[in-house]
Amino acid sequence: MIWRYILKRILWMVPFLFGVSIVAFLLIQAPPGDYLTTYIAKLGESNEVLDQASIENLRARFGLDQPLYVQYFKWVSRLLVGDFGMSFEWRQPVSDLVWGRMGLTLCLSMATLLFTWAVAFPIGVYSAVRKYSFGDYLATTIGFIGLATPNFLLALILMYIGVVHFGADVGGLFSNEYKNAPWSWAKVWDLMKHLWLPVVVLGTSATASLIRIMRANLLDELNKPYVDTARAKGLSEFWLIMKYPVRVALNPFVSTIGWVLPNLVSGAVVTAIVLSLPTAGPLMLQALLAQDMYLAGAFVLMLSSLTVIGMLLSDILLVLLDPRVKYD
Amino acid sequence: MTRNWRFSSVAALAVGVFLHPFTAQAGEAPALAEAVAAGNLPPLEERLPAQPEVVTGLENIGTYGGKLRRMLGGSNDHNSILRIISPQGLTRWKADFSGVVPNVAESWETNEDGSEFTFKLREGMKWSDGEPFTADDVVFFVNDLLNNKEFYPNPPARFVVAGEPMQAEKVDDHTVTLKFAAPYGTFLTELATPLAQEPVLWAKHYCQQFHPAYNDDVQAMVDETEAVEDWPALYRLKCGEVEAPNRWSNPERPTLDPWVVTGEGYSAGSTQVVMERNPYFWQVDEEGNQLPYIDTLEMGVAQDNEALVLEAIAGNIDFQRRKISNPANKPVFAENAEKGGFEILDMINSNSNSMAIHFNHTHKNPQMRDFIRNKDVRVALSLGIDREEIIDIVYQGQGEPYQIGPRPTHVLYNEQLGKQHTEYDPDKANELLDAAGYAEMDDEGYRLFPDGTRIVFNAQYTGVEQPDWGDSLEIIKEQWEEIGIELNSTSVERSIYYSRGEANEHDFMVWGAPGGLDPTLSPRDVLAVHPQASWFGIPWTRWYLSGGSEGEEPTESMKKRLALYDSFKQEADQEKALDIFRQIHQEAADEMEIIGISLAPNLVGVVNKNLMNAPRSLPSSWMYPDPGPTLPQTWYWPES
Repeated sequence: MIWRYILKRILWMVPFLFGVSIVAFLLIQAPPGDYLTTYIAKLGESNEVLDQASIENLRARFGLDQPLYVQYFKWVSRLLVGDFGMSFEWRQPVSDLVWGRMGLTLCLSMATLLFTWAVAFPIGVYSAVRKYSFGDYLATTIGFIGLATPNFLLALILMYIGVVHFGADVGGLFSNEYKNAPWSWAKVWDLMKHLWLPVVVLGTSATASLIRIMRANLLDELNKPYVDTARAKGLSEFWLIMKYPVRVALNPFVSTIGWVLPNLVSGAVVTAIVLSLPTAGPLMLQALLAQDMYLAGAFVLMLSSLTVIGMLLSDILLVLLDPRVKYD
Repeated sequence: MTRNWRFSSVAALAVGVFLHPFTAQAGEAPALAEAVAAGNLPPLEERLPAQPEVVTGLENIGTYGGKLRRMLGGSNDHNSILRIISPQGLTRWKADFSGVVPNVAESWETNEDGSEFTFKLREGMKWSDGEPFTADDVVFFVNDLLNNKEFYPNPPARFVVAGEPMQAEKVDDHTVTLKFAAPYGTFLTELATPLAQEPVLWAKHYCQQFHPAYNDDVQAMVDETEAVEDWPALYRLKCGEVEAPNRWSNPERPTLDPWVVTGEGYSAGSTQVVMERNPYFWQVDEEGNQLPYIDTLEMGVAQDNEALVLEAIAGNIDFQRRKISNPANKPVFAENAEKGGFEILDMINSNSNSMAIHFNHTHKNPQMRDFIRNKDVRVALSLGIDREEIIDIVYQGQGEPYQIGPRPTHVLYNEQLGKQHTEYDPDKANELLDAAGYAEMDDEGYRLFPDGTRIVFNAQYTGVEQPDWGDSLEIIKEQWEEIGIELNSTSVERSIYYSRGEANEHDFMVWGAPGGLDPTLSPRDVLAVHPQASWFGIPWTRWYLSGGSEGEEPTESMKKRLALYDSFKQEADQEKALDIFRQIHQEAADEMEIIGISLAPNLVGVVNKNLMNAPRSLPSSWMYPDPGPTLPQTWYWPES
């Protein structure tokens, strides 16, 4: 049953992604001009000059002199054999550029997700069970501040304090000596030492909102008759809350997994730029700004795939978690 | 050609002394000496040319070791690497930007009319992999790439004269003649500019494997390389392009540079670019010690310019101005200089003006065109701007009222071009406009065109990159109300800005004005020669570039200037060439097509206070790719 459901969902992804590829391509082409216009403008800013002959050469080389549908079909037909094309801006194959970034992005996303849950879950439960206590008010206040502060601002403040008062090395995910080093335990440890800052910065607002959601959902459940029944049967208070109401209240945690992956790629761009994180967001933003369409297109396609996969994961988890949900 | 001006601070900088007798006991970096002792590297005298170039550092003979830290932007910052490595072309700029000296070439001879250039190369000079560098490498570029239609459907303009691309003839292994179809007086200067390195960029012994004339199996390599469709794409991916990030992404590619890239180099995934010394580098100091002194260049990557400023004030950058050169950063640097252990670099701005207003002399609306083309009107519009007020409010008092053209320190300085009509005189401006036939006003006090419509300038500017232009335009809007001219300005995205300009749909455009220290290299504000920057007459530019078959015929004055420019490019005699440019500037001054606001203030950067032989003041320009011509290979760290 569930396998058939998963298979069907996966098969549906193919036409969906095909549609996404058309939309993505059109969106990237929508602004006036093309990669070369932005490239020339960028050079012009620093008074660098390209002569007309070189511009014509580039335009022909990148196929920008051909009609839109030809460019699209060239791109898509190569995609089918796993070739993402050449990045205009970097003049390197797109796949070389994308995978490394995606790896670190996933790593950061997972760490942030775990951090968010680890903080939001107990606090949410606590502030629901101890409604209107001092602890609840404290958690609520901090939560609202976390929600209200823009991530990039928090990042700038933490960085400034780090650099000016502690002489810390805050940009990026690695110390200088490990940036180009092959993976080793020392490098992993170095990553851990740098990871906390972006994780805290990226995780605060999500944590704050999850605390509120958990609290509200749990409060709904706590007054239901089944809770009274269980309590009457003598179940300990801790197990009673954990086993039934919390399980139901977890629903929003699970059903938002689908959004977490694309959100961390696209939503955290400004923060990633400020913190110089080598993740996918800044590269995608730059590709879009420069109208580097093969690179941008690859990212848009990956984001869409991630969303689809994430939604599939949430649906499967929901089925397992919540007996009220049915698949069909 | 033109750089006979001076400023004392850099006049004493490193200058190459070629053909210096090479007699002293040679020294080399300790790590290289070890490699020689271990048998992994040939001895120094086999690695250096028979006559290595002897260069003199700014202060002292240096000592080996250490690393130089810089920062790169997260994208499109490959030229920052090019600048510190310095483009190792056949010629290079003198450190004071006053002319060119031999670089990769040992010397040259020019034929009588300036159409043939015979370069003598250094005997025994090697690529960074130890293979010989010879005339064949230059001939390979000219015959197999420049003159190959598949590689260059249109060869770069700097190697094309009278419609014919450059030709090469090998005289012997160390002598090569480059020939043009007509005189090319500016060729030697052109070779010192950053994008003219191609004749000596590519090592034949390595790059020929990607060329079908030398390798029958190229197609197989193309097929198995992802994202590559033909051999030119494969060639560029592996051998790099003169101006692209992939130039710094293949450590196997041999170079003539003082440092060579290691690891993955600069790519979208890079968080750091590291370069190590070239054991075959061909320059030595006066005592015969092989350069460079510094072992390693370590360049971090940061996306955000503010993060770069933070790195600078934390003392994590040893020499840099790119991305942090905004004069507004000066107080921040001054405050943190002591703690960060750095000094502030004074970068002499090569730009002429912070903001030039390019009135569209080829406007599509005939009334607006007549209005703009009336010189009295342009004078009035210039007199109607209170430049002091703008400088005080927008540029923190840095600058002085200025139009365009070479800066006062430059040998080509033309006072009329730079200073005319920069005083604020709204009464005179009103008189001029009245006399020009625009005396009619509407109820709100704005002047009218003959058909009764209001005279309005709609201007766009790229506000994200240059917020100061928007601030200035707001002030000009108020000032022009005094003379009855309405101005509306809006910030637009950069590519929209460009497409408007190229479609000739603008009333005026705003842009920074180059040509302050490099007037002959960036003449686009006095000559309609640049299709994306001579905004005062884009159809004129098209007319010039197409030889008269497209666009619109320019004014007599502009045609005269363009003819002068053509003769300038052929003139081999420096003094005569400068005189030609004086005529161009005088003609431009009399015509006054565009106006400026304020002389561009100097830029700032940081330099570690312990870094020896590095200048504290130098020109800042793209054509003089700072700091390369000051020879970073002679910089060093004192032994502590």
